[in-house]
Formats: sequence, C-alpha cells, structure tokens
Amino acid sequence: MPARLQGETAARSPAPRALASVAAPRAGRAYRTRSLAAKIALIPTILVMVGCYYASVTWTVYISMTRSFLLPVYRFAGIAQYERLFATPRWQVAYGNMFLFGALDIIGTLCLGVLLAVLLDRAVRFEGIFRTLLLYPLSISFIVTGLTWQWVLSPTIGVQQFVRGLGWEGFVFDWITQPDRAIYTLVFAGIWHQSGLIMAIMLAGLRGVDREIWRAARVEGIPTWRTYISIVLPMLRPLIVTCVVLIAIAVVKSYDLVVAMTNGGPGFSSDLPGKFVVDFEFERANIGQASAAATVMLGSVVAIISPYLYFELARKNR
Amino acid sequence: MTTARRHARIGRIGLYTLLVWICLFFSIPLLVVISTSLKTSDEVRTFSIFTLPTAPSIAAWIKAWSSACTGLNCGGVRVGFWNSVRILVPSVAISVLAGAITGYALSHWRIRGANMIMLLLLICAFIPYQVILYPLVKTFSTIGIYSSLPCIIAVHVIFGLPVMSLLFRNFYVGLPEELVKAARIDGAGFWRIFVFVMLPMSVNILIVATILQTTGIWNDYLLGLIFAGRDNMPMTVQLNAIATTSTGIIEYNVNTAAALLTALPPLLIYFLSGRYFVRGITAGAVKG
Amino acid sequence: MSAVVVSGLSKSFGPLRVLKDIHLPIETGEFTVLLGPSGCGKSTLLNAIAGLEDTDTGIVEIDGVDVTHHEPSKRGIAMVFQSYALYPTMSVRKNLSFGLRVRAVPRQEVARRVDWAAKLLQIDELLDRKPSQLSGGQRQRVAIGRALVQQAKVFLFDEPLSNLDAKLRTEMRVELKRLHRDLGTTIIYVTHDQIEAMTLATRIAVMRAGRIEQYAAPDELYEAPETLFVASFVGSPAMNFLRGRLTTGAVQVGSAEVPLNGYRFRSPPAAGQEVVIGIRPEHLVLARDEPGEPTFDAETLFMEPMGADTLGWFQFGEHRLSARLIPQVARGLSGRVRLSLNADHLSLFDPSSEARL
Repeated sequence: MPARLQGETAARSPAPRALASVAAPRAGRAYRTRSLAAKIALIPTILVMVGCYYASVTWTVYISMTRSFLLPVYRFAGIAQYERLFATPRWQVAYGNMFLFGALDIIGTLCLGVLLAVLLDRAVRFEGIFRTLLLYPLSISFIVTGLTWQWVLSPTIGVQQFVRGLGWEGFVFDWITQPDRAIYTLVFAGIWHQSGLIMAIMLAGLRGVDREIWRAARVEGIPTWRTYISIVLPMLRPLIVTCVVLIAIAVVKSYDLVVAMTNGGPGFSSDLPGKFVVDFEFERANIGQASAAATVMLGSVVAIISPYLYFELARKNR
Repeated sequence: MTTARRHARIGRIGLYTLLVWICLFFSIPLLVVISTSLKTSDEVRTFSIFTLPTAPSIAAWIKAWSSACTGLNCGGVRVGFWNSVRILVPSVAISVLAGAITGYALSHWRIRGANMIMLLLLICAFIPYQVILYPLVKTFSTIGIYSSLPCIIAVHVIFGLPVMSLLFRNFYVGLPEELVKAARIDGAGFWRIFVFVMLPMSVNILIVATILQTTGIWNDYLLGLIFAGRDNMPMTVQLNAIATTSTGIIEYNVNTAAALLTALPPLLIYFLSGRYFVRGITAGAVKG
Repeated sequence: MSAVVVSGLSKSFGPLRVLKDIHLPIETGEFTVLLGPSGCGKSTLLNAIAGLEDTDTGIVEIDGVDVTHHEPSKRGIAMVFQSYALYPTMSVRKNLSFGLRVRAVPRQEVARRVDWAAKLLQIDELLDRKPSQLSGGQRQRVAIGRALVQQAKVFLFDEPLSNLDAKLRTEMRVELKRLHRDLGTTIIYVTHDQIEAMTLATRIAVMRAGRIEQYAAPDELYEAPETLFVASFVGSPAMNFLRGRLTTGAVQVGSAEVPLNGYRFRSPPAAGQEVVIGIRPEHLVLARDEPGEPTFDAETLFMEPMGADTLGWFQFGEHRLSARLIPQVARGLSGRVRLSLNADHLSLFDPSSEARL
C-alpha cells in the first residue's frame, strides 16, 4: 500500500500507548479469546463463499453431467451433454467467437493500453486531462458502451452514413450487419472500453521503474524507444501477464456487451458463451445444456488463471 | 540545450499530437451520443449521428426520462433510475461493510488458514456469474424471495464480497501492526478496534471501495435482469428495453438521451473522484 | 585519456542555486573525487559533466572539445551508478554488450571487449547469470564492467560503494585503486565518505553548498586546509578548534600563549585579530613541562579506545578537545591534566570568513 496513505492517516490515529509489561500475561489469554470474535466475524463470508460459490459451482458441474433438460434430473449421463453441446452449431459459433474475439481484444487492448501508458510516461504536461479523457469509458456500463458502438457502427446512421453524406457514395462499412463480420465489431467496443484500465495499470508500473536505469541507458546511447522495448517493458512482464489475464477473464464473462451491441446477431453469428448460457437457461429452459456450457466457461477461466496463479505464487515465494 | 534535446522537443510535439488524436477517438462516441440526444425527431431520421444538431433541444431528454416506452410500459427511464437507486444504496453499504470486516479479520488477526481463505476468495473473484446463476435462482426461489429487491441486493453482496474482502485485506495489511497490538493490550476487542481504530484510518479505502461498488452495481445488467423482479428493474435494463423496442421509427434521439441518463451517475462520480477512481480500478483489477 | 575542464558552471533548480560558478580543471589520468555532505551539489556536478543535467551557465570540455551541448552518449564518458542500474531482464553478458550492440559495434569487437572486462573484474564466470542472481559486490563489478567496455575517455562514479557493507566497501576500494593504476583512465568520483576520498584520490574537490572550497591532493587537504569547513570535514577523528587572539608572534588562547613558529600567513595579519586555531588530535599532547611550552589546563572527560591508540576527550574552557594518546598512558588519566600542542602543525582561520590565514 502506498506509504503516503499510511502517513496521511497515521496523524489521525490514536498514538500507541506504552506497553505495560504487567498486562502481558493477561494479554496472552485475552488474545486467544479475541481472535474468536474474528473467527465468528468471518463465518458469514465463509458461508457465502462455500455455499454460494463452491457449492453452486459443484451443483452446476453436476447438472452438466446428468440427463437434465427443463428441470434437473439427477440421472448421471457422463459427457452426453457435452457431446450434444459441441454438436450444436450455435455453440460452435459462440465458442469459436470467444477465442476470436478474445485474441483480438487482448492484443488490441494491450497494444493500445501499453502505447498510451508509454505516451503518458513521456508526456509531462496535461497528464491529468489526458488520463481523464482516456479512462472515462471504464465508468460506463457495457450496455451503454454496446449501444453507443452499435449506433456508431450502424450502416444506417453511423460511420457508413456519415461518409456517404460527405460525398463518397459507394462507401461500405456494415460489418455489424454481416454475419461473418459482426463479431469483429465487438472488438472495437472492447478495446475502447478497456484500454484505459490497461493504461492505468501499466503507467503505474512504468512509474515504478528505477530512474537510474533510464540514466544508464541514456549514457550508453540507447535511444528512448529501444529502452522501452528492450529494457523497461520486459521488466514489467508480470504486470503485462496480469493485464492479459484480466482482459481474458472479461472476455469469457461477456454478456452485457453482446446483448447491447448485436444481441448475438445477425442470427447467432456474434454469440458468445456468456450469452449462450443465459439464453439456454432462461429462454430455452435447457438446464442441462446451459450447465454444460457454463462448465466449459469455467474450464476456460481455470485454464487461464491456473498457470497465472501458479507463477504469481512461485514468484512471491522466491 | 543539447542537440538531442532539440530533437526531443520535436518528438515531444509529435507525442502530444498522437495523444490528442487518440483522445479524440475515445471522445467521439460520447460526443456523438450527446449530439444525437439533442436533435429533434426529424433530424434524427435523415442524418447520420455524426452531424451536429441544427436546433439543439432537450425534448428527447424529457421524453427519455418520463415517457419512453419499453416493451411493457411507457414510464421512461425514471422508473429505472429510482429502482437502481433503491438497489444501489443498500447493496453498496452492505458489501463495502462486509468486505471491510472480512478484510480486517483476515489481516490483523492470526487465523489459521487465513491464506487459504484468501486464495479461495481470489478464485471466487474470477468465477463467471453464469456458472452459478442457476443454483442461485433455484435457492432464492426455494427460500421464496426470488425476483425481488432483497434478492437482488443479496446477489450484489454475494458477488461483491470476494473483491471487497481482498481490497480491504490488502489495505489493512499495510497498516502498522503495533496499532492493533497496543489497542489489544489496552483491553479493546475485535469490534472495538474495528470501529475506533480501523475505520477512522480507512477513509481513503472506503471511498475507493464505494466508488468501485457503486460503478459496478449501477452498471450491472445481467444480475438485475434475472434477480430484481419486474417492479425493480434497474436503469440499464430499462435502457436496453427502450433501445431495442423497434416498433415503428427508431427514435435515436430519445434512445441516446436515455443512454446518457443511465451513464451519467457513474460518469459524474468518475469526473469528481479522479484519483480515487484510478486507485479503485487498479486495486480491484490487480486482485491480491 | 583526457583532461576534463569545467569552467564557470552554474545551475539552479528554480530559486535554489545548486551549483555556483564551478571551476574544475582535471588532468588526464587523474582520480578526482568530489567530496562533500549531502546537498552540496556534488552529484549535480557529476550529472552536469555527464550531460544528464543541463546547466545555466558555464562550459564543460572533455579532451579539449566543448561538450556542453552534447548528449551524454556523445561525450565519450561512461558512468557507474549508486544502485548499479543493471538491466534486470538481461544476463550479465547482455548487460555488458547491449550498449555496444545498439551503437553497431561489430560483434567480434563486442565479444573481445566483454571478455577483456570480465577477466579484468573477475566476473567471467558470472556472464550467463541475471543480476538478481548476483551479490552486491558482483553487481558492482558488472556495473563497472559495463562502463569499461565503452572504452570511454572519462569514467564517472556516483557513490558506487555506498550500497555495500563495510567489509565489501574496503575490498572494492582496493579494487578501484588497482583498476585506476592498471588502466590509467581519468576518473571523477562522487562520495560523502572522506576516508574513501582520501585513499582513492589524486586530487579531491571538497564541496559545500554548491561551491568548491578546496581542490587539492589529499595530503594538502589534510595538512593545509583552506577553510574551516574543509578542516573540519577532512580527517578522522576531526580537527580540534580553539578560539584565540593574535599577539605578536603568538596566539593567546585563554591563559596560554601558543607560539607561531614561522607560520606562513597569506597576508600580513593584524595584531589583536580574532583567530581560530585548528590542531589535529595527533598534534595535541600531554604537557611535558618544558620551558616556553604552551599549556592548557583541561578536565578529562572520557577515553575512546580505538585499538592502536586511544582518543582522549578533554574539556578546556568552552572547548572540547580530542587527543591521540598511547593506550597505556590514557588508562591512567583522570581529573585535571595539562595539555600542550605541537605548534609546527597548526592552521589559523579567520572566524568570520572561515578562510585560512
């Protein structure tokens, strides 16, 4: 935690009073009792964690392995649901879209975010204004983001219409209505929304780099751009990995954005697993398939964070 | 000035130019939406959203607020606004407080397995909503409160708990241990120390947590859609319903106005809180 | 190998004047130390010579070339930093060679230089390790190695040993002295540690508040300090100071009269002038009761055993004096003693201008 924060608030805290050695044996017994209160205070959280999260996850996974359809039927069916799932064209599209959208979103957001962080690191003036202008999309709901970009990319009122209105009659930019292109439009919105976050995180990281390394590179005659690429950014590799994980998780979870922007359309060409699960659970009322799809989503998340957590723990233990 | 410094000055101008262009790219969607919301119905029909209104008026705003139609009713987003407020206040209060208490318990009190609990919480923070939706729905309907205000509040608290706990825990471990130890020796217990020692020192992190939760809960769509019940639909749900109701001519000016109204509260918080917002998203993002 | 000449250098950070009209002529092959307390401007001066800081006025010349407006990499310098500033994600070999490769030095030449530097600094076995796998002393060597491969004209060191523990520091001091002797390069070295300065330097520039108070060889600084500050800063244990008044041929200190045996004054002194006598602890002795000997009646305070000798502390009027004593003699001392001094080794200063008389 920033030391400044401690300094600011320390002035308001009561000054620690002198330890009375007489109180020591009493404190020993009192300490154990009082940590009982702490344990009790933790019980609601632990209950929620176990009950709402882990039990629910188990339940969902279990359902995915039963013959459930409208209602859960607890008859074991192995991987039958999964076989059916992956044979469903809509799921195939949604699942594939996740990787497509994910890869482009991650690369795009990362590149733009890192670029912005580097630019702001170099820029001395107006940093506050730039940062304010670049971060605000993060405060906006995905619904508003999706709707906004739907309007901007709409062929009838958006970019295409505007450019045509300027005189270029034959201009075409109607990806959002094209089944094989619609998923890419989500990438625009995703990058727009999240680059600011990556910028903020990477900027904090860049600021933490020892200034003497910069001086050493300058004395050696290494140009600024080379210093970033070969020296400074590699130093921030763990932070970059964190950013990738964050964006990836957000991609897996995506629901609001798809709903607002394309609603999975045209048809289901821009569907994503997050929407698939909710639709099948509530509209199509197919609990079995929904649970199977949700478990696949969970599996994707586990696949992303397991290596990440493992390396983070290993790094911290060193 | 060295020669390279002179070159650097030129590079600097290029840098600022690039930044300005990127800022434009970021601002244009918002500006376009604002400008469309100020147009009259005729203008909206004929021109693209990139053209400026010739006679700006806030008629669309008024309509969006009080009389725009979703599929079900025509009460505007005003209904949604108050619903969102009623959902927001208790949800934020409870989840922030619960997170603070949990973080405090996990930081300054020697609890066996505290690290394990934190790891489990961290994993919870990553689990997508969709995986535990159905069990939650089933549980709440069994209890009988499904699709109601208490239900959605409980859901927001549940989903906010891991991130809040980790946020507070990471903050509290940064505070000096001696404070708690000294208070303990003076005879204060778990709750006393929390109220009289920890909370006064937590003002900054409380602000950060509140901003994080407020933005997240106000902007939520999926959970509100599923758990809030028809009478309590949050503003985001109303907005999407209004914008996607395609009966006849689409009134883009009303739709954009509705979108802006929905985005306004967290935007305002963002512009007013600046540094706290940044602290919140980076801390909430770099969980643990 | 070349001379560095700094003339008329001044620099301000806003209203704060950090360097005031610095003149520093450095000969080729010299080991020059910039010595002074924190905030005296020595690091700023080094950075100005390096080109990492702009200056307001003045010129920096290296090897006869005016480099005042040149980038650091075009000045023919190499620098070693306090925190070593090694590139953390690169191996030692890469750290040494990266700068050269960026400057398009041919691969074979790079390899030759890296091997030469590694052998010289005894880090050839560490070439494939990363900085995080090295000890503090090893990292320091790599930092020096990185400077060496540049084959620069002037080497700049910014407090390179202050992050090392005491034992390592003494070892590295010897290493640096050996390097300088073997390579004969021009070195400018910043430190606040006067022992380091005295052992390493050919000439030391003692700095205070943005000015160079004296620029001379260690011996001269020790025996003939130019100002009160230099006198008090250089030499450990520190010099003793006594206030007195000039009479003809002597200084009156309290009841004692200290003869001025051929003290060379800079300018003719005025009789009755207030002066400050500086006398080093090794020249303050126990009185031997000889005729004409200036004596001071002092009260014994305490003894500080330092091994080979003991530092005795005494109170004389308002002055606290220290004297180097033989341990056996010091053991028996207490109460009132009579001190004297070796009048051949004193320095006289003007109390107000603090300059040497």
